[in-house]
Amino acid sequence: MSAAPALAELLQLPFLQRALLAGLLTGALGGMLGSFAVLRQLSFFSDALGHSALLGITAAILLGLHPTLVLVPFAVLFALGIDRLASRSRLPTDALLNIVYSSSLALALLVLSRVRSYRGGIEQLLFGDILGVTWLDLGLILLLLLVCGGYLVLSRRSQILLTLDEPLAISRGVAAGRHRLLFIVLLAVVVAISIKAVGVLLISAFVVIPACASRLVSGHFGPYVLLSAGLGAGCAVLGLLLSALLDLPSGPAVVAVQLAGFLTALALAPRGPGLAP
Amino acid sequence: MATSVLDVHHLTVHRDGVPVVEDVSFCLAPETDTALVGPNGAGKSSLVQALLGILPRSGGSVRLLGHPLGPRGQLPPAVRDRIAYLPQTLALRGRIPLAVAEFVGLGWDPAGPSLPWRSGGGRAAAVRAALRRTDTADLAERLISDLSVGQLKRALLAFCLVRPRSLLVLDEAQAGLDTQATEQFHQLLYGLRRSEGWTILQVSHDLEMVRRTCDGVLCLNRSLRCSGSPDHALSPTQLAQLYGPGYVPYHHHHPNNGPASR
Repeated sequence: MSAAPALAELLQLPFLQRALLAGLLTGALGGMLGSFAVLRQLSFFSDALGHSALLGITAAILLGLHPTLVLVPFAVLFALGIDRLASRSRLPTDALLNIVYSSSLALALLVLSRVRSYRGGIEQLLFGDILGVTWLDLGLILLLLLVCGGYLVLSRRSQILLTLDEPLAISRGVAAGRHRLLFIVLLAVVVAISIKAVGVLLISAFVVIPACASRLVSGHFGPYVLLSAGLGAGCAVLGLLLSALLDLPSGPAVVAVQLAGFLTALALAPRGPGLAP
Repeated sequence: MATSVLDVHHLTVHRDGVPVVEDVSFCLAPETDTALVGPNGAGKSSLVQALLGILPRSGGSVRLLGHPLGPRGQLPPAVRDRIAYLPQTLALRGRIPLAVAEFVGLGWDPAGPSLPWRSGGGRAAAVRAALRRTDTADLAERLISDLSVGQLKRALLAFCLVRPRSLLVLDEAQAGLDTQATEQFHQLLYGLRRSEGWTILQVSHDLEMVRRTCDGVLCLNRSLRCSGSPDHALSPTQLAQLYGPGYVPYHHHHPNNGPASR
């Protein structure tokens, strides 16, 4: 069987249609928020949040609830807690994040190893489960995309100033504290919602890689954000298709495509003092 | 005083629980140019950041253009629009893809939500005029990350004057500039100050420049040590008190930083 008919046949499958749609939307979301998160040095925050989310999923399994319903509040509390901890503690933020995420991950794996029905499912949680996207997930993702898109479009000037220099933004009347909190809460929710398709280990790539690739080739802010969102969406769809065609785990397939995109951007990037990564 | 542009009463600022500015009071009359001088770590940057609501204050009160600064740095948007702050440098300018004209436009925009299609023709014209007046028109499409220090300072000035302002606060504007660029920058600033009617408060390490261009000096070393005209406040006796007895004003080179700023 050659690839083209196989692909046409696969595209008839409702679960794959849902997965592709979810990939398109979460990829765009990750790329959009990622373009700000990367510049604000929140890459590691999204990584730590993704890893810690396994604890949220574990709680959902123990409580017998839909994982997304537990993950979203878990992620929001995590983000607010980390923000508070980082502003109060004298320890470097990356060290604090490391402590929090390794302990959450360890705790979650310990509990999961005791829950008989999930011994085989850990791999799906770690690397993503393309089959698992429901209509509820899709609806939530769409809603989130509208909320994040609306927020970033309306506050884009404040967001650019905040990303550039916080004191300067405050001097122009930007409510920096409120925007910072709102942004990391949105980022946390996006990570929580995207985890199902990508898995906890690779979710931060959705936020980081498309934004970095776009940064390499963009000169203006608007095109940078749009290209990042577009790359995120495109790489997710392509990766999921490859995963379905070649029977590969979905998360790693998407990240491999993102890497290819990043390397292409690296090759295309103009060489100048300001455009070095 | 109803007529003063900036009114500071018993201002105290803490950083990590340590007082860095203590009980500072002064006021600035309209269209004056006042320098804030003092040794490294004297709290100069903390003071100006507290005046603008960037750092929280732990005591005292601040009035800007007659409006009280709220405890969390709140000011009416109309007042914010009349104040400009020129930081030492931009924290993330090397990372963010932003052209000079885009950056200057951000100085024009009022804070708060705005629809993308409602920027108006006034904005583009104001940006062009600001670029022209700061001699940065040819840099409009350049990335701010690609600018030299001198070019960045001019772009920051364009950011400040893209809207009519009343008060300009400069934190070591000349840091990182060579002698010639400092001279050019000050001439530009001096000309703009006169044509725009700005009141200026500037943190400075360049006492020679302060003597030549400022009308008033505030000497800070955590608390206000002296103030007045440059001749009085920068007399050898006062300087020795402020900087310590070993201080030699004419061989003073420019340190890059004041107190750590965030």
